[in-house]
Amino acid sequence: MSSTYYFAIVGTNDSPLYETELGVQRDESKYLNQFIVHAALDLVDDAQFMSTACYLKTVDRYNDWNVSAYVTPSNIRLMLLHEAKADDAIRLFFTDCHELYLKTLLNPFYEPNTPIQSQAFDVKVNTLAKKYLF
Amino acid sequence: MEKQYKAIGEEAWKNNAEKINAELFIFTYGSLVVQLVKDYENYSAVNKQLDKMGYNIGVRMVDDMMARTSLERCTGFSATAEVIAKVGFKLFLNVIPTVANWSADAKEFSLILDDNPLNDFCELPPKAVADGLRYSNVLCGVIRGALEMMQMQTEVEYVRDVLCGDDVSEIRVKLLRMLDEEVPASDD
Amino acid sequence: MASQSQAQAQAQMHAQSLMKLDNKTSKRSNMLLEQNVSRPRRDRVGLGAFAFLFAEIIRYSQNRVLGIQDLEAKLNEIGQRVGVRMFELSMWREKTVHREMRVLQTLVFINTVVWRALFDKQADSLERSTENDDEYMITDNEPAVLKYISVPKEMSSFSPGAFISGIVEAIARCCQCPARVTSHVVPADGLPLRTVILLKFDKEVMDREKRLEAGK
Repeated sequence: MSSTYYFAIVGTNDSPLYETELGVQRDESKYLNQFIVHAALDLVDDAQFMSTACYLKTVDRYNDWNVSAYVTPSNIRLMLLHEAKADDAIRLFFTDCHELYLKTLLNPFYEPNTPIQSQAFDVKVNTLAKKYLF
Repeated sequence: MEKQYKAIGEEAWKNNAEKINAELFIFTYGSLVVQLVKDYENYSAVNKQLDKMGYNIGVRMVDDMMARTSLERCTGFSATAEVIAKVGFKLFLNVIPTVANWSADAKEFSLILDDNPLNDFCELPPKAVADGLRYSNVLCGVIRGALEMMQMQTEVEYVRDVLCGDDVSEIRVKLLRMLDEEVPASDD
Repeated sequence: MASQSQAQAQAQMHAQSLMKLDNKTSKRSNMLLEQNVSRPRRDRVGLGAFAFLFAEIIRYSQNRVLGIQDLEAKLNEIGQRVGVRMFELSMWREKTVHREMRVLQTLVFINTVVWRALFDKQADSLERSTENDDEYMITDNEPAVLKYISVPKEMSSFSPGAFISGIVEAIARCCQCPARVTSHVVPADGLPLRTVILLKFDKEVMDREKRLEAGK
């Protein structure tokens, strides 16, 4: 199955900390992806007070896209744009990405809410995507 | 002799040491180093400050260590090296570094830190590596301060550091001279 | 004026470049991302090590500020960086990783889970202020971290617990319940270090609580 995903981590001040396209790269799609994710943040804000779960499942739709969200305990939003529905796989992907974020945060030199530019992080996210999403 | 110190250290850790969550300690140290980086904006100044704070700690630690163990004041430099590793490090950080690389004149040795709690979770920024930050430099100050309380004036510095890409972390301790009985003034 | 702000911007860029992490993969970065954090990697360390370090942190901070308020603010700042990390980590180790966003649940979580993670015991009490609805107090009868910290007489109003209130303030913010958090030494019989952590929640938090309560 060939499919495309867009994954972003959004800080508490709504600024992107990390983003990546997974799978087939589409030209010109980056800004649209950012736009869709940003628009969905308001819906995450509404949904997050309805439960204490981190995984909020699909919070928004845009044309063929589903937007799924996962909120860490300190309110860092993990957002995934995807076409097919696959709740369980996406939950596992999010949970493992949360763990990567946590380990990044534990470094005293990482300041919360600043971009994560580590290639090691990037490689690990891509490996998780291969494991769970493709 | 080595075995005896090991036993003293373990016994003191087990029975006489009050303990605290290691992660609280590790995060607090990390937060201090980052605070120093923000305050000084200069990595060699951070090294100096960590060494100075360590010295103040080391000066006070000796009495605390003596109070919690059955140690007698030790005399020789080589016995002291063993005490630092097997009693001092054990009692405060719950790890035991290896004493190694004695110089021919027996006035220098190394502590090989196979396991340094302060390093858990830490990766240095490239600029810190380039500018020579010794993240755990506080340990050098502690050793220097403690030895001074035991009448030994020393030079203590990191020569290798895993956080800077070396295979192991090694602290070199060099005896400069034995001091007369005098109480050192604390750095401020 | 322009050159001043330019200098400020430069200073800020300098500070940021000091802290900028490597984007290249290294053995270390991989190791850190692969290590298991589901449980603590090591046993405890000596309280002495912490106490001596904390005393030096206070001494260092004292030399860089003018008054007791600034000193407490500095300790609060140092505590906040600890709080953010301790919080995400202790939540990760819970049976069910979840979020706390309501004032009471957040307080209970701090009072129990966080306190146990930090100090191996629960806090001694959690109370709501009888005077102000938006104020809560967490009390610890003998905070281990303050045990060997002596406060000079001339600084009797100084509360070294500002470090703990920094931890708590960061966690409250993480839970989207921002509050002003202060610490006060309130000795009781045989408990000279008894410390009260006072949280005063922001107005928007209390308003949101009312809305959520009404919407139930």
